[in-house]
Amino acid sequence: MTPAMFLLTSLSLGLMVLAAGAYALLYCVARFKGSRAFLMLAGCAYGVLAIDTAGLLLRAPIDPPWKLLMAVSALAYLFIPPVTWRYLQSTHREEGVHS
Amino acid sequence: MQYDDPKFWRAGAISTTVVMAIVLIMLTVDSLRAINAGGSHVPPYTVINRHIDYTYNAKLAREIPVIGAEELLFGKAVGAGDAAALIDRGKLVIQSRACIDCHTFMGNGAYYGPDLTKAWLDPVWETWMAITGADTKEEAMARFLMEPDKYATWQRKMPNLGLTRDEAVAMVAYLKWLSSIDTNGFPIHFGRINVSNK
Amino acid sequence: MSRSKALAVKYLSAAVLFFGVMTLSGLLSAVYYINPDFLFGVLHFNTAKILHIDTMIIWLLMGFMGAVYWFLPEEFGREPVGIWAAEILFFVFVAAVLAVAAIFLFVQWGPSTETTLWLVQQGRKYVEAPRWAAVGVALVMLVFAWNVVGTALQARRITGIMAVMSVNMVPLVLLYLIAFPAIDNMAVDLYWWWWLVHLWVEATWEILIGCIMALAVMKLLGTSRRIVEGWLYIEVSLVLGTGILGLGHHYFWIGTPDYWLGIGGFFSALEPLPLLGMVVHAIYDAGVHRMKTTNRPAFYWTLAEAFGNFLGGGVFGFMITLPQLNLFAHGTQWTVSHGHFAFWGAYACGVLSVCYIALQERRKLATVDGPGWIWAFVLLNGGLVGMVGSLLVAGMAQAFFERAIGGSTLDAFIAGQENPWFTLGMYSRFGFGLVFGAGYLVLVLNLLALGRREATLALRVAPAE
Repeated sequence: MTPAMFLLTSLSLGLMVLAAGAYALLYCVARFKGSRAFLMLAGCAYGVLAIDTAGLLLRAPIDPPWKLLMAVSALAYLFIPPVTWRYLQSTHREEGVHS
Repeated sequence: MQYDDPKFWRAGAISTTVVMAIVLIMLTVDSLRAINAGGSHVPPYTVINRHIDYTYNAKLAREIPVIGAEELLFGKAVGAGDAAALIDRGKLVIQSRACIDCHTFMGNGAYYGPDLTKAWLDPVWETWMAITGADTKEEAMARFLMEPDKYATWQRKMPNLGLTRDEAVAMVAYLKWLSSIDTNGFPIHFGRINVSNK
Repeated sequence: MSRSKALAVKYLSAAVLFFGVMTLSGLLSAVYYINPDFLFGVLHFNTAKILHIDTMIIWLLMGFMGAVYWFLPEEFGREPVGIWAAEILFFVFVAAVLAVAAIFLFVQWGPSTETTLWLVQQGRKYVEAPRWAAVGVALVMLVFAWNVVGTALQARRITGIMAVMSVNMVPLVLLYLIAFPAIDNMAVDLYWWWWLVHLWVEATWEILIGCIMALAVMKLLGTSRRIVEGWLYIEVSLVLGTGILGLGHHYFWIGTPDYWLGIGGFFSALEPLPLLGMVVHAIYDAGVHRMKTTNRPAFYWTLAEAFGNFLGGGVFGFMITLPQLNLFAHGTQWTVSHGHFAFWGAYACGVLSVCYIALQERRKLATVDGPGWIWAFVLLNGGLVGMVGSLLVAGMAQAFFERAIGGSTLDAFIAGQENPWFTLGMYSRFGFGLVFGAGYLVLVLNLLALGRREATLALRVAPAE
């Protein structure tokens, strides 16, 4: 791993999780407002995550098992907001709290 | 739905925690075997009687410590008991002076002073041999530790922490032993500059 | 007001006081990087740093205790068992902390003997306090555990939150015993030391703050107990499921077998996943209640907790957690950047939220709002983000020049420290530290003044009527 690749890889990993956070935030706002615009923005945020992950998988000087972990994490980040949202809606519905 | 029931998640919390804790305990038993002095990763304290190097191993693709021929510390061979006593004293020095709150050991501590993991192997001690008028590296290290403010070479000076001669000698022994630990390649390419683009 | 709540107010007040000591000693530590001759021969970096990191642990611990003592009587419907002992020990605790601070400042170090370890300095990071003080802290925590667990055992009914908290008390207290030994072998010392540090701040403390936030959210938003308890169990599963073996990310380079590179890296890489779930939960709660609450500062500090935890622990941690990258970033200002952000987000914000919750009830305020808390919120969070950003730049420069290129010798260390990006980071960190300090002062003024102005106005108006 060259010094430059080390910095680039670290920053890419940070961007991956940051983009996941942005995606989650925008997704939640989209669900609250019923807004297609925010849903598209959420999609763009996940797009950044996906491109960043693709870059890592193609270029990062790390072994294949670690790349597999990155790919699986990226997929998990896709599903966490909608699955969590569905769980929260369902539990709040049971308690009679409207969303 | 089952997943809406807190009891489902309570069962998950208990089982996850128990399984992970058991795995941690099993790994701890194995790791302690490796890291006790004389284990696979940590040489016995008598290694201070030997030459220590840190070289690249192609098979492991990282640096590893290499224990070489006899190289006595301060010209004296020490048996197991005396070596253990020196290490014990050295660790007491480290704790009583809170060295870890300026320096790092294997990267753990504070970042105001340099990392000391491979300090024994630092080529810069030759400079201090000249500055302190010492004939050997270990003598230079001991003289520096006793009066670091007198032998400062940089704007960020190490303060004088009142180390006695015995304490300084123990500290040098500790640093020599520390440099022999197999730290899985940390720090990378110690002592060599890397400007490769590959 | 119940005895437990009265004690809670004392602990929360002490927490805020030591938060100030932490801030001041942090600023002092930052000065040395800019002016290395500052107080040379009188007070050195290691003393300032010890005060900074130890008061951080103390103020957060006191904050947790204050939060727990606040909510305990509500959860159990009675005063906690042994509250009399806790009341006495509060003063002992505070006095001991002040005594230890004085020893650190005016004695600083001693000869390399067991007596020094018992009376002056133990010199292990975060647990430098001499053994006599460690005995005192252990006693305080034992009584704290007794207050919680003893009351739980005596209660006819125990809530899920209290059950989790009670069980969590056991490892929380037992792990502190690692503060006592002085092990010669640095590899073995660090191995056990990380059990204390990691299994506190990335396991048992996470569970404790999870319980506290569950209680806070029920109070602030009226969320049902069934919902928060279900969520708490999910959190425990995920945090401990990733965090217990995530301990391995501290075992990459301390002489342990290399299987820790894989185990630690893998589980550590999973740690951000539950944090993302917590962010979704926080936004959901905020949105469901249309951002409306009678206690806006408490609510916003709870939100800051969720986001700060994710950013500081998740984003900043993920950058340096894989072993291939940690090899370069380990033991640099990059670590400092992550540490500051993670501690702030995961714990400090939560404690501040509870301060406002307790304040509202104590001063019988229908609503808690106003410009004061907003200024404190902006300055503290802005200052913190500025500091960690500065440290990130400095850390990247250090990792690049000292480790990746330089070969980690003393000369490489100096080259890294003198690199312009590094020095810029140090000046910038100090500047933002001053912003943070200003935020602390505004916070204290706000906490002291909230509700009192209305009360004073009411008094002035009353005689005219």
